[in-house]
Amino acid sequence: MDYELDPDQEQLHDAVNTLLSRRAGPARARSVAAASGIDQELASALASGGFLDLFADDEAGPLEAELVVEWVAAAAGALPIGARCLVAPAVIGGDLPTTVTVMEEHSSSPVRFGATSEAILVIGDSEARLVTPAPGATEPVPSLYGYPLARVSLAGATVLGTGDPDVARRWWQVALAAEIAGTIGAAFALTLQYHKDRKQFDRPIGSFQALQHRMSQLYVRQQASAWLAREAAFHRAPAEAAAASAAYAAQAAARACVELHQMTGAIGFTREYDLHIWSLRLQALRLEMGGVRRHSLALAGARWA
Amino acid sequence: MEFEWSAEEATYRNEVREFLKAELPSDWGSKRQRPDSDEQMSRCKDFCGKLAARGWLTPHWPREYGGHDAPAWQLMVLGEELWSIGEPRGPQYMNVNWIGPSIMSAGTEEQKEYHLGRIAKGDVIWCQGFSEPDAGSDLASLRTRAERDGDDYVVNGQKIWTSYASAAEFCYLLARTNLDAPKHKGISIFLVPTDTPGLEILEISAVIGEHAFHELVMTDMRVPASTRLGPENEGWGILRTGLANERVGVPRYGRAMFQLDLIAQWAKEQGTFDDPEVAATLASAQAACEAARALVYKVVDERAKKQPPTPNASVARAAMVEAEWAVGEAGMVVMGALGLELDTVADDQFRSGMTAGVAAGAYEVQLNLIASMALDLPRS
Repeated sequence: MDYELDPDQEQLHDAVNTLLSRRAGPARARSVAAASGIDQELASALASGGFLDLFADDEAGPLEAELVVEWVAAAAGALPIGARCLVAPAVIGGDLPTTVTVMEEHSSSPVRFGATSEAILVIGDSEARLVTPAPGATEPVPSLYGYPLARVSLAGATVLGTGDPDVARRWWQVALAAEIAGTIGAAFALTLQYHKDRKQFDRPIGSFQALQHRMSQLYVRQQASAWLAREAAFHRAPAEAAAASAAYAAQAAARACVELHQMTGAIGFTREYDLHIWSLRLQALRLEMGGVRRHSLALAGARWA
Repeated sequence: MEFEWSAEEATYRNEVREFLKAELPSDWGSKRQRPDSDEQMSRCKDFCGKLAARGWLTPHWPREYGGHDAPAWQLMVLGEELWSIGEPRGPQYMNVNWIGPSIMSAGTEEQKEYHLGRIAKGDVIWCQGFSEPDAGSDLASLRTRAERDGDDYVVNGQKIWTSYASAAEFCYLLARTNLDAPKHKGISIFLVPTDTPGLEILEISAVIGEHAFHELVMTDMRVPASTRLGPENEGWGILRTGLANERVGVPRYGRAMFQLDLIAQWAKEQGTFDDPEVAATLASAQAACEAARALVYKVVDERAKKQPPTPNASVARAAMVEAEWAVGEAGMVVMGALGLELDTVADDQFRSGMTAGVAAGAYEVQLNLIASMALDLPRS
């Protein structure tokens, strides 16, 4: 057991975050959102550093891949980082396109990056298939929730590879938990600074106990979400740990979105202020894959059925 | 960063499980009874004696005090296994986790000789004389007075909410020895036999929790100065170090998960497990327990590396309280009105959860500590 980064992981942290400080962040997220919605340049930069393929790397593994997902999410990277770094390598392996997203075959939910990823991992009842949709098979869905969403028709899709759908679901749960942990972490850090800077009634609002307790509760949730995602990735997404990480993180995300906005007040509703870059994404993340209800049923089934 | 149990730790866990299977009565855990009953106290002493004989009552103590310097992770494995079957050490977990260590750090040779040997044998019960009617979360404002009189102290005052007092042989008592100093700087600790004349122990009838509360009334209670632990007026610092151990020394999530498994089992027997609301409620509580476990492990890692205490202990404590509440809620949601019956698992857990947020440093105090120490928010 070791709950601190080892020297190799420290080095990875420094390298990835140096890259992210140059190529990601809220300003970049805004400009990408105004254009294609997916940050192909960031994806290519991460790929050329080898950071998208740590899952099967001899020198690294799923835990290192999970850490990259957290860090990219915290930097508001506009790409399907969890699906690409954790889900697709676990299910398909081999050489993967730079951007891969994930969806369920029998679901009408809009798909994050569904129209803009190079490939989609489609999870069906009996198999998971990596596909490229036919031209014109994707239709953007208007939404303010931080990601480009699309409806995807699978008719005429080209199949690139197949794998185990249960493995895919378990890693999707871990990937969501990791993205949520990173996203809450960044939104929380911004709001924490706001609590120290913003003065009302002649004192920083962070000195009011009514707000302190809520910040402390969110901190507990963010920390636990991160540790559960890391542990589940390290143990290669066992059914119970994977579902527990997603169920816990999805509840944390729901609460963090509402609470961080409430504690920030009206400035938090403006496009100019950065909070929405992360906070609105939390809604999409916590509802993906059926949300906390589905994760909970999976957890109950894994532990007690 | 890696999350694998070492081979030694995994072997140790198996050995503890085998030992518990062999040494505990088969109905242990399913038999609900008052933890401070005479029968339960005698079972607990008997069990602690066996643990001691195996070297597992005080494995983390230094060798000079009869322990074998067991690593922090090994102690956590032991705690998890014991709590997950209902903590057969009873109140003696307090003795070994922090009362003993606090005597090691501040006690005289005579005190160490007398108390540590008995604690290590597992045949002595202690209680904590901390809270007072006007000193709960604000413990340092306590008013029980100990006045020096020759070789003795004369103690007057009142303690309240004391668990296990009727069964205890000794009380770890906090009293004020200097009225003029700032409140944290006038407190001393006394190791008081509970049969000392002038000490009256009254049971308080309570509706919650795992066991009864007591009130301790001290009227001109005379104790020798040799019962004082550490220098006069320096009790607060000794206590704080001790309580840092208390806060995560108790893996209560293990007990909560055990209870949750019983609740899930009940739902399956009743055919309600397939109700999505039931399954979701159970799962949500399980996730809260896992969160508490992971945050406790973070603190154990810091301990194992001998790092100074951090606010992560409060983070873990807050998560453990939330987990206990979630399991208490799950029991009631799953069992419905059947959970109102005395000593059902839902009833037991709901009441235990209520005390979890109050005992050993209230939930809100932990949130205060996180805000000031982990988040560096300005004081209110």
